[in-house]
Amino acid sequence: MSAHIILTTLALAVVAGPLGCFVVWRRMAYFGDGLAHSALLGVALGLVIGVSNQIGMIAIAIIFALSLIWLRAKRVLATDTLLGILAHAALSLGVVAMTLLGAGDVEVHDYLLGSLDAVTQDMAVWVIAGSGLSLGLLMRLWPGLILMTTSEDLAHAEGVHIVRYEFALMVLMGIVVAASIQLVGILLITSLLIIPASTARLFARSPEAMAIGGSAIASACMLIGLPLAQNFQLATGPVIVCVSVASFMLVLVARLATRKV
Amino acid sequence: MRHKDGSQTGCFMSAKISDSDYLVTVSDLTVVKQGQTILDAVSLDIAKHDFITLIGPNGAGKTVLLRHLLKLETPHAGTVRHQSGLKIGYVPQRVAIDPSLPMTVKRFLTVNNQITSTDLANLATETNISHLLQSPLADLSGGELQRVLLTRALAGKPNLLILDEPAQNLDVNGQLQFYSMIDEIYENRKLSVLMVSHDLHLVMSSTRKVVCLFHHICCSGAPESVARDPEFISIFGDDMAKLMAVYPHSHAHDHDHNHDHHHDHSHTEENQ
Repeated sequence: MSAHIILTTLALAVVAGPLGCFVVWRRMAYFGDGLAHSALLGVALGLVIGVSNQIGMIAIAIIFALSLIWLRAKRVLATDTLLGILAHAALSLGVVAMTLLGAGDVEVHDYLLGSLDAVTQDMAVWVIAGSGLSLGLLMRLWPGLILMTTSEDLAHAEGVHIVRYEFALMVLMGIVVAASIQLVGILLITSLLIIPASTARLFARSPEAMAIGGSAIASACMLIGLPLAQNFQLATGPVIVCVSVASFMLVLVARLATRKV
Repeated sequence: MRHKDGSQTGCFMSAKISDSDYLVTVSDLTVVKQGQTILDAVSLDIAKHDFITLIGPNGAGKTVLLRHLLKLETPHAGTVRHQSGLKIGYVPQRVAIDPSLPMTVKRFLTVNNQITSTDLANLATETNISHLLQSPLADLSGGELQRVLLTRALAGKPNLLILDEPAQNLDVNGQLQFYSMIDEIYENRKLSVLMVSHDLHLVMSSTRKVVCLFHHICCSGAPESVARDPEFISIFGDDMAKLMAVYPHSHAHDHDHNHDHHHDHSHTEENQ
């Protein structure tokens, strides 16, 4: 495997650790799915206005997050209902737009399940920059985010601007989803975030340990999964998820064997 | 409370008191939500070393008032002024810890918070949680969790402690212990306390100042006089009022005073 692919996947894996923790703690899995679904519309947007896929996806992710926050504040429909509406509207629009713009079935398939071929050197620069930026922001916001996750009331009273922090978290997820979508695929992106974090939860005793453990596990799964996908000509997303689930089962069994969980 | 020193602030409410003697000054705070008046011209002062217990039925606007005291919300009308240098320690009603978040008590006390390990150790002794520091937050009992929250509130060395029904989920024994801990902290640290409480029987047995809120401040003053207030009786019922009237051990001397003129309390506020 070439160096730029390894660097790209490691960058993604490192940021997936801490970000995945928040997806688990704050129950944002469905939000992540919705964000991923809307990414196809972002790709179409990129094609129409002639910017890169990633910029299109991040723009759609921000619109997605803002729409969700705005609609949720109306308090008429539950968040999961709103997510369902937004996500499937964006996915359907995306598929229709991609088809009208002349994208073939293969291309759409690659977006859904991920492909190593998509990882060009240009994209590697994007992904590494995006992951680095996200990781930096996440570390800066970390104490406030952790406090807010423990108790929103307390964080608010101690001066943490909840809405801004939540929006920042959503945008960070948008960036990471946009960065990793071509590698892992729309359908499986959430598992890239939640499976390593959940595996780390089995042994972590602090939020930081869970985040770092998540990064390490995600890195290992990527480094094992990608060569397998390449050798056997498989879509990268499903292979990485299979490896991740295997690691989760392994740690779970190890925990059960040493101590009742 | 506002009424007893009306001569000072009542007439000159708009006059700018640059650094008043009050830690918090609430003037004519009005909050309307979805056409409903939650708070109607509420005025309340918290002086140095005050111990105020806020009571009132559910939906009376107690939590909304607290949120404004904490400046978490912007009032529709009226003002909430904080004395410069005011530090508030806040103990929320409850904290639901998600089991997916691994967090020891010690980590929780230090997150987003600058506290030295010596200070932390001393504080943990004061609130009797030293033996819990390495325990996961999710494993604590209700009483332990409240003490941990109290510890966090004290970590910032506040001069005002605000507690929102802190003993709500405790058994009677736990409530008594928690309230006596608050009492001790109040005496030892010379800070001010504002506490929302539903435990009227415990609140009323103390000799502190009680404020009864039902969208507006119905009455305030010493527990025994509040218990005789007609508005208090109409809100909490005759039985509760009788129960309260029995509680104070020190005999009530101020039979003839009205609830809105409490000499004893003006004294405590003025000799700070």
